[in-house]
Amino acid sequence: MWHGCSDVSAERLDRRMGINSLVDIAKSALFTAQQAIAVTGHNIANVNTPGYSRQHVTMAENIPENGSPGQIGTGVHAESIRRSFDSFIEDQLLASRERAGEFTASSDALARLEPLFGDADNQGIGAGLNEFFGALQDVATNPSDLSARTVFLSKATALAGRFNQSAATLTAAQQSIDNQVGQTITDVNRLTSQIAGLNTKIADAESSGQQANDLRDERGVALADLAERIEISSIEDATGQLTVFAGRGHVLVDKERTYLLVGVPDLSNNGLLDVRYDAGAGPTTSLGPVIQSGRLKGLLDVRDQTIPSLRGSLDTLASELVTQVNLQHRLGFGLDGSTNQDFFAPTGTTASTIAVSLTNVRQIAASSTAVGVPGNNANALALAGLRSTDFVPFGNVTFQEYYSTIAGSFGSATQGVQRDLQAQEILHDQLTSQRGSISGVSMDEELANLLQYQRSFEAASRMIVVADEMFQSILSMKR
Amino acid sequence: MRVSDQQLFGSTTGNLQRTKERIVHAQEQIASQQRIAKPSDDPSIFGQVILDKSALADNEQWIRNIQFGTARVAVADQTLGQTQNLISRVRELAVQARSDTTSAQGRVTIAQEVRQLHRQLIQLANTEVAGHPVFAGTKTDAPPFVLGAGDSVSYQGNSESQSIAVGPNQTTQIVLPGDQVFTGPTTNIFDDLSNVLVALETNNGAGIEVGIGNLDRAIGQISLAQGQIGAIANRLDTAYGTSLVVSAAIQQALSDQTDTDLATALTELQLQETAYQATSQTFTRLFDSSLLKFLR
Repeated sequence: MWHGCSDVSAERLDRRMGINSLVDIAKSALFTAQQAIAVTGHNIANVNTPGYSRQHVTMAENIPENGSPGQIGTGVHAESIRRSFDSFIEDQLLASRERAGEFTASSDALARLEPLFGDADNQGIGAGLNEFFGALQDVATNPSDLSARTVFLSKATALAGRFNQSAATLTAAQQSIDNQVGQTITDVNRLTSQIAGLNTKIADAESSGQQANDLRDERGVALADLAERIEISSIEDATGQLTVFAGRGHVLVDKERTYLLVGVPDLSNNGLLDVRYDAGAGPTTSLGPVIQSGRLKGLLDVRDQTIPSLRGSLDTLASELVTQVNLQHRLGFGLDGSTNQDFFAPTGTTASTIAVSLTNVRQIAASSTAVGVPGNNANALALAGLRSTDFVPFGNVTFQEYYSTIAGSFGSATQGVQRDLQAQEILHDQLTSQRGSISGVSMDEELANLLQYQRSFEAASRMIVVADEMFQSILSMKR
Repeated sequence: MRVSDQQLFGSTTGNLQRTKERIVHAQEQIASQQRIAKPSDDPSIFGQVILDKSALADNEQWIRNIQFGTARVAVADQTLGQTQNLISRVRELAVQARSDTTSAQGRVTIAQEVRQLHRQLIQLANTEVAGHPVFAGTKTDAPPFVLGAGDSVSYQGNSESQSIAVGPNQTTQIVLPGDQVFTGPTTNIFDDLSNVLVALETNNGAGIEVGIGNLDRAIGQISLAQGQIGAIANRLDTAYGTSLVVSAAIQQALSDQTDTDLATALTELQLQETAYQATSQTFTRLFDSSLLKFLR
């Protein structure tokens, strides 16, 4: 442009206007550099914001003016501020959050049940069975000894107590998980309403052609939090609003509208909460069976499958113990000649209800014959023999073998979930790292950008000074 | 690949977290000396541990049973030895009294000692362990041998025997009922003694002669019982040895399966600590080399 200043052709007037346009160009460069610095600053400020996607300014040339010998540029403008974002990785991250949510919930819940099997420290039902049958042997070796009988009765009471305690632990765990289910339902509803609100804001902002970068990040975080709780899928419409589905096409969020999950006590399931979907009209539908992943799935699995199955196994064990011991005990005779007596209360055939009903140690039926032969231990030996007898309800194994199967399969399930969780955590870390590679803020990069834009800003400022000096030169010609 | 700050922080903290978890796990194993404390530590071994503990409890119970049985059998054996001596003494006296040189008065004097020995035999036959008679069969609530009119003794125990569990599906009799030892099966030893008494007191040489023959049969009967008790003691002893060996083997297996191997655990701990330190140090180094440092 400087060459124009010395031109004396008919275009001179235009050339003078050229100094003004130099100021305009400088101004556009100043503004754009400023905007770029602001975006860089925003990136630096949000380096630790969860879910933040790095933003960058796309710059473009201004529309040139026609002139001679050709078009002359008119400067620069910031065309758009976009966020760096890969929807494929975001989708994978969502799926990973769903599974991590599921495995975390079930792994935590199962870990809390593990103390039931304290057998490594002689604390479980297996250890209780050992003590029970051991004390019974002591009665068999010394059938007329009242102290051996007293010890046996107290060991039997302790064994029943261990069953009762285990059943109570299971019930308490189930109740605690149920509370978590209720809390998760509340969380889901809060998050869907947050997403619906953001939908509206994003549509409003983008209707005027803006990119609602930060609102989208915020919605992404809410969506990920939601995915951690329940498996979801989503579609974005042309206005940028999300429709979010859970279960089998159950709409949770439709633009600004939300549909609630409700927890309804299910009387056919001990009053535990049934996760139901409220379509806004008509009866609610149960979502439980169609939830495939997420925290709710993990919680429901442990609450409705692992715990009932464990309780069922312990009930089978307790029931067979009561039945077999009573059957044999009724055949024998106590020191006082009593016979046909139950040892365990015949009505208590579950882990929670098993109880010793015999109270008088003289009535422990160690003898196979009537009164007067306190040294007869035949029935005590037969009772003790139950320990090594295979029973049909256990699949033809002994008490201890059946119990060890229960513990073993529970251990496998717990270990399986823990391993799944570990694998999922590593996968999640990898995906997060990939996301970081695309969307994360690199301080070095931002600092380099900052320098670059700062230099642009300085150069543009310099341009204004130059233009001013040019004006001064021209004005000084008149003197 | 672009590397963002988040990535550095995220992967480093994730790695540090996992390393720390392993450190804690190794430390727990070292502190508790237990490699397997809960089912998920190793489900199949945990199931085996329950069975092993059950088998161990069985063996320890058998050992306990055998110790109890052995105590009773030892008392019975000792009593039978004393009984043998006692009968031999009676026989000696009878042989002495049989001699034609022994007067009627002398036989009556001998009879007094024999009567004492007869009473002593009742005491021996009523020997108790912890308040329970050894030779009463299973009717252990009262002394089995009761002195009746004259010198007659009646057996009030029964013919049942008590067995105890000494091994897998294995029981051993630990009681010889008194009617197999004192009042049968060959001869009633109390009757033999009282017959000698009558013969001595009635100065009946031929009767004494018959009595000595009976005493010989009595000695044979006690010897037989001693043999039986010896066989029982042997069986108990064998079973005891077996249970001890099995018990030790199970304990060893349990310890192998569940105890922490210190060398392995310490190596693991060392390894993880090193990893932790290395990660921490490289972490600091990475952030030290930021561009920010050079812009000051």
